[in-house]
Amino acid sequence: MAEILVVAEHRQQKLADVSLQILSKGRQLADKAGIELIAVVIGADVSGYAEELARWADKVLAVKIDTPGESLAEPCQKILSSIIKDRKPKLVLIGHSSFGMDLAPSLAVELDAPLATDCIDISMQNDSIVVTRSIYNGKVNAVYSFVPCEIVIVTGRIGEFASEESDRKGEIEKIDFRLEEDLGYKVFEGYIEQEVGGVDITQADVLVSVGRGLKDKENIEMAEELARALGGIVACSRPVVDSGWLPAEHQVGLSGKTVKPKLYLALGISGAFQHTVGLKGSEMIVVINKDARAPIFSVADYGIVDDIFKVVPALTQKIIELKG
Amino acid sequence: MDIVVCIKRIPDTADVVGIDASKKDIEKDSLAFKINDWDDYALEAAVQLKEKQGGSITAVTVGPKEWDDILRRALAMGADKAIRVDQDMVTADCYAVAKVLDALIRDLSYNLVLFGAQSEDFGCSQLGVMVAEMLGIPHAALAVSLQVADGRIHVSRELEAGMLESYTIELPALLTIQTGINRPRYISLGGIKRAMSKELQVMSLSDLGLSLDTLAPMVRLEKLELPPRGKEAELISGSPEETADQLARILQNSGIF
Amino acid sequence: MALAEYKYKDILHRCFRCGYCKFPTNWIDVNNCPAYARFRMESYSCGGRLWLTRAWLNGEIDWTDHLAQIMYSCTACKNCEEKCPLRFNVDIVDMIRATKSEMVERGLIPSVVKEFLENIQRQGNPYGKARAKRGEWIGGTGIPQYEGQEFLYYVGCVGSYDTRAQETARTLGKVLIKAGLPFGVLGSEENCDGNEVNTLGEETLFEMLAEENIQKFRDLGVTKIVTLSPHSYNTMKNDYPRFDGSFEVRHYTQLLRDLITQGKLNFSGGLNARVTYHDPCFLGRWNGEYDTPRQILNSIPGIELIEMEKNKTGALCCGGGGGNFYTDFLAGSESSPARIRAREAYATGASILAVACPNCMTMLEDAVKAEGLEGELAVKDISEIVAEVCGLA
Repeated sequence: MAEILVVAEHRQQKLADVSLQILSKGRQLADKAGIELIAVVIGADVSGYAEELARWADKVLAVKIDTPGESLAEPCQKILSSIIKDRKPKLVLIGHSSFGMDLAPSLAVELDAPLATDCIDISMQNDSIVVTRSIYNGKVNAVYSFVPCEIVIVTGRIGEFASEESDRKGEIEKIDFRLEEDLGYKVFEGYIEQEVGGVDITQADVLVSVGRGLKDKENIEMAEELARALGGIVACSRPVVDSGWLPAEHQVGLSGKTVKPKLYLALGISGAFQHTVGLKGSEMIVVINKDARAPIFSVADYGIVDDIFKVVPALTQKIIELKG
Repeated sequence: MDIVVCIKRIPDTADVVGIDASKKDIEKDSLAFKINDWDDYALEAAVQLKEKQGGSITAVTVGPKEWDDILRRALAMGADKAIRVDQDMVTADCYAVAKVLDALIRDLSYNLVLFGAQSEDFGCSQLGVMVAEMLGIPHAALAVSLQVADGRIHVSRELEAGMLESYTIELPALLTIQTGINRPRYISLGGIKRAMSKELQVMSLSDLGLSLDTLAPMVRLEKLELPPRGKEAELISGSPEETADQLARILQNSGIF
Repeated sequence: MALAEYKYKDILHRCFRCGYCKFPTNWIDVNNCPAYARFRMESYSCGGRLWLTRAWLNGEIDWTDHLAQIMYSCTACKNCEEKCPLRFNVDIVDMIRATKSEMVERGLIPSVVKEFLENIQRQGNPYGKARAKRGEWIGGTGIPQYEGQEFLYYVGCVGSYDTRAQETARTLGKVLIKAGLPFGVLGSEENCDGNEVNTLGEETLFEMLAEENIQKFRDLGVTKIVTLSPHSYNTMKNDYPRFDGSFEVRHYTQLLRDLITQGKLNFSGGLNARVTYHDPCFLGRWNGEYDTPRQILNSIPGIELIEMEKNKTGALCCGGGGGNFYTDFLAGSESSPARIRAREAYATGASILAVACPNCMTMLEDAVKAEGLEGELAVKDISEIVAEVCGLA
């Protein structure tokens, strides 16, 4: 069928941001191609989600199932595979979230459909779909097309597509799905939330954030001194948590926290997308890194290309001096 | 526990400078290569499981002769044997590579298959989960913790914003491993030398009943291009004292302190 | 390995915790072990490390990151060997190295040390910078490529890649050209000498580096080597012969002193300044070379050479050895040995702190800035001082 199908993800009574983002993109593509936009949402209680999705979609398939939990890859794959085989949409859009990563590749194999993941741009010209992906840690973009085929599956990068306001009233079709298969081979046990320690980086006005360039746990002190001088707290990128230098509650990024401080000062952080997506809302972003080609400079307002061990102590001292 | 770990050799992205004349590949002049970071974590997870529960580890890859070095590292880390399918498929569609790995792994005896969650070069995050579907075994992507007990594996999957999803999965199963799950051990040169006596088998596509014709890609690379520059950061230059001074004043004038 | 397999199992217990290993030769303070000066905990002194090694190999304590950090904070400066009153003092630095070796073999090393070693494996330098860029320091100086000349000028990783040390590498090259010395450099063909890899305990990697270098030197017909860094000097002179690599190796100060006395380098002027000289550990305590650099400084008209209180055998290490110029285990405090040393140099009233090692150069220059002494105390390499008075600056 000439339509675009968007898979909506939800968790803890909320539709995932990325689902609304790709839904907006899907709306754009559908309008341009003159075809319909269908949204699919699957879960135990989806009527609220369906109404929200209907603001963008021409039609919403609100699939009700018994299994506990929200968007889980295994049951969703079974249901989507059946819907997609039936409807044969030209393009299936899924968010490139953890759920998307657990679902899309196996769905693609089951449908024998081509898959392009983590795309930062998608376009449809006549009948062909073209996507852009960011590779080599943000240094290069790659443009891909697909061999002629019935269905193409694309996952979209989180935060890349703008979620735009819309006020349609799409048709909602309620579907009750009985899963035939026994999914006992993969049993969902529950969600685990990170323990909240004493630190909440999302509340700070100033974040002094450190990355791998800090070299060693001992050097956190240097960042803490600067943070104290600025009245802020220390945050970090993922490698710092992986190495055990700071607890996970300090982590900014996709698998950590999204922050919007007045000042985000990034020290020795290269700026992998998974990190920068969490700090883009900051009012001022300042980067100090000795690698002039580090991707993080592209999100910075101000940058210093130099060794953090030389600049930071001098900066701390100067700030203390200026404070009087 | 018999574990298969799939690993990839990638260029150090810090060295990647630009696109070559064909516009379909990066300039390869001064690239140094290493094992994909995620795969290192997967290997370490396998080795830790073997240390606790006994069993064997087979490291596998699809690549040309140069890729033997990462297999040697895997053997030095604790894998018992290694298999390389001799075919350069770096620029191929993940689906095609998955078919090769499926053909290879389905004939091995295993309880658990581990992949890194993604690779540092192309970052598709597809291969492991595709192979699971082809092998017909359950999977979980982005594992940040795992424990084996009674023929089942307890896994926590990483979601966004610090949340985790936990599962109990029946073996045999496939997991893709996220960074931070452990601390991959250092492999000394001595360790690599001692591992030279371990078995490294090389196979061809035809040994697996495959040929490049059967592996035609469905996703085609059109071209590579440099990302658009976007808003440039204002660079402050000078000696560390000078830049620190300038920055401090900028921050003061912006009301930060 | 269990204690039974440790190379020094028979003497490991002999440290009776006298604490001498922390003192300088002239006893004036108790902070001459650079790691102890930084952390002020017994664990960080040589004796502390020996007893921790024993406890670890005996199974009394488990390996932890902290234990590894304690071992790797050793800069191999040999102050402890200098002061230890027991007969096994000649082995104590090597005993710490053997502990690090054991950690390396088990793969249990701090992540920054892992980075250091993996970078060398991959790119031939600890910074992980591209091998192909190793010769970029040469710039437009006209320093020639080695093609069989009498001397090989071996620069080393720090001189090749660290921006400040690159200046020294270039200056020395220009001085050698002025002296009419037939020499060449390897540029991007140069590979790590392995001295730090050895002190970090990665024995097989060190062997491989040494053997590859020796083969390369032989193939090129190298017989005489002059090194920028005392680290390279130390390993090529003392370790390479073990791998059948016998070359005539000199540190550049030894060569410069000869060139000056032979009249091949003439001073066009003098330098009116009070200068204090910092003994690099790998030239001083490791190789007994205290006089040559001083002879050079004393031969320059106008220089008033003042000694720091702790000098020669009692010099305080800058804290850059044992890979610490990269791993930075001793950084981040005013008790960092480099900062203490900068203050000691300043206290002499000197306006120039002379060094003879690129590691000391980077450590001390950063320390002078951290101390806020920039403009009052200049850190200069001896080659730079010589270049100045030869009209080459």
